[in-house]
Amino acid sequence: MTQLSLQHVIKRYGSYTASDDVSFEIPKGKIFGLLGPNGAGKTTLIRMITRILYPDSGTILFDGELLCDKHTERIGYMPEERGLYKKMKVGEHLIYLARLKGLSLAEAKEKVNYWLNRLEVTDWYLKHIEELSKGMSQKIQFIATVLHDPELLILDEPFSGLDPINSKLIEEEINRLSEQEKTIIFSTHRMEQVEEICDDIVLVNKGRKILEGEIKELKQRFKENKFRVSYRGELSDGVLDKLHVLSQAEGSVVVQFSEEHHGNDLLKLFIEQEVEVTAFNEILPSINEIFIRQVEQS
Amino acid sequence: MNKIWIIIQREYITRVRKKSFLLITLLAPLGFLLLTLFSVLISSYSQDKTDVAIIDESGLFSDTPIPDAEDETVYFHKISDNYEKLSAELAKKDDKQPKYEAIIYIPKNFDLNSPNKPGIAYRYVKRPGLSKRSFINQRMTDALQKLRMSLLHINEQQIEDMQQKVTLNFESLNNEKEKQGYADAAALVGMVMGFAIYISLFLYGTMIMKGVMEEKTNRIVEVLTSSVKPFQMLMGKILGVGAVGLTQFVLWILLMFGVNLISGAIFGIALSHPASGMGQLQNSGVEPDDILAITQNISSLPILQIVILFPLYFLGGFFLYGSLFAAVGAAMGEDGDQQSLMIPITIPIIIAIMIAINVINNPDSALGFWGSIIPFTSPIVMSALLPFRPEWWQIALSLVLLIGGFLLTTYVAAKVYRAGILMYGKKIKLKEIIRWIFSKS
Repeated sequence: MTQLSLQHVIKRYGSYTASDDVSFEIPKGKIFGLLGPNGAGKTTLIRMITRILYPDSGTILFDGELLCDKHTERIGYMPEERGLYKKMKVGEHLIYLARLKGLSLAEAKEKVNYWLNRLEVTDWYLKHIEELSKGMSQKIQFIATVLHDPELLILDEPFSGLDPINSKLIEEEINRLSEQEKTIIFSTHRMEQVEEICDDIVLVNKGRKILEGEIKELKQRFKENKFRVSYRGELSDGVLDKLHVLSQAEGSVVVQFSEEHHGNDLLKLFIEQEVEVTAFNEILPSINEIFIRQVEQS
Repeated sequence: MNKIWIIIQREYITRVRKKSFLLITLLAPLGFLLLTLFSVLISSYSQDKTDVAIIDESGLFSDTPIPDAEDETVYFHKISDNYEKLSAELAKKDDKQPKYEAIIYIPKNFDLNSPNKPGIAYRYVKRPGLSKRSFINQRMTDALQKLRMSLLHINEQQIEDMQQKVTLNFESLNNEKEKQGYADAAALVGMVMGFAIYISLFLYGTMIMKGVMEEKTNRIVEVLTSSVKPFQMLMGKILGVGAVGLTQFVLWILLMFGVNLISGAIFGIALSHPASGMGQLQNSGVEPDDILAITQNISSLPILQIVILFPLYFLGGFFLYGSLFAAVGAAMGEDGDQQSLMIPITIPIIIAIMIAINVINNPDSALGFWGSIIPFTSPIVMSALLPFRPEWWQIALSLVLLIGGFLLTTYVAAKVYRAGILMYGKKIKLKEIIRWIFSKS
């Protein structure tokens, strides 16, 4: 099942093309990473999905239907640049935002209480927004995004400004929502978070999609046959000469193989050397490495 | 529609419950009261007394009275001192309180037939103000006139008879209600209405603009635009602030009634005191009789028309300019440093009030006609014109154009607003705004 499908989406600002024929699909219930360097066109894509902007051409389908304004009530968006009315109180502010998403006053109140309770911040209800710290208002932002129980959540840098404890809390909430079959678009620069959280990613640069796929599959696709062997004992001289050694340290060596070789070949070599192999693993590229390489190439 | 209503509620409630709202609402009439009190006080104390010595060497004026000022500001003293001696005495700077502040010196060879050659000198210690100078000049001219007439053997009574003035009764032929003094009443009411719109456009226009800037600066727009259309946000804000303005006006009118009672009592005392209240009224050129005529004529103004049309022009003007102020707020940089963007909307408002001031003296002028037709000036100019009973087709045309005008500005403003609110970090140039206006949505 596809939650969201972008087909040949183009958006131009004057002569500048912010989104150049971008197509990808987001399956239901997955956590989807939308990645790209600054100015790559991520925000433009998100704004088109949230109906803030309209594509010049191409189509966006939401749950199989052509995306239109009524769908915005089924989307929760937490922008990277976010803010709240400083003079309002936490409770009334959340109720206001929930009502703008189509909830009735009673529903809004109920949801606000539920979420304040859930994130253990019930006593903030009557606090003014301006009294909150950055991390605190971040939590309120998160609640505002999920209050109306959206099917699709768009989180742009949701962890920025959060301390490790609150980061953990939000991450748990994200995972919990994912278990509830919510689809989540996750946009960030922090690649270690992407690997930790996302199932699929799409990488954009200069308005174009340059990479798309499942994280596991991508790591396989971009692997470079690198292996690390840790061992005890002495290798005889010249053994490593035939290999492409990337780095070597006391009792450990990183080797790159050509395509036709196999991890077992390397292991065999070490076993024949009569040294004790303590660890043997393939080094897969991190998403960060893939990201940098792809951006540089594009 | 429902969402606009939710936005209106927030805009309204958050503003009305602010302490500053309460403070301004309460203090403005109080300020008004203080201002009236202050001006009465100033007029009674600032008009200091001037003693003028008259040394008449020619002896011509000895039998002609030169009366003191009615408002107790100038006193004339005919004395027979030596001119040179007295002027030397007065010229001494160390004298803090001289006997006389000035000397009118009429030379020995003063000739009634050529009163400026040799002329009468006015030598002062303290420089007289403009109004005092013209008052003294007038008194001397009057005295001269009387003197010459008496030389022609015309007696006091005859002089008075000769000087009687006539006041024409200006009354309309085709409208029996326009009695004498009607134009004054109409001008007063028209000006009050014109100014009410003028002030509220600036007051609530800036309120809208600041609201938009605040939303842009603290980035709440990012969150809001994913829930509501920019047009809904724009409308919600304008209507919400409009409701705040309405509340404030109603409160002010109620408070003014209260203040009026108090200041009326004070004014009553002031009026019975010729030195202060009367003097002030005379200075402004309004005779007490005129005030009576104005109050009597207010009831004969086209009240029904005014009651229906004035709110329409008020709303029309508010919507027309409110959306433009919102657009400027959206286009303004986060630090609000591009005040120049306000010029295109403040200039027409100022022009409108200038036309309105002109129109109340010249209700049938071409300037007034065009001012009352063009939507950018019509709310203020037409409001000032309403008491003068403009033609019905003129009102109809003006209203149609005003509605068209505000639809157009709202359309244009919505485009600028839409593009502007999500644009930060860079200065927005006028060229760019024009591009937004003409871009497809």
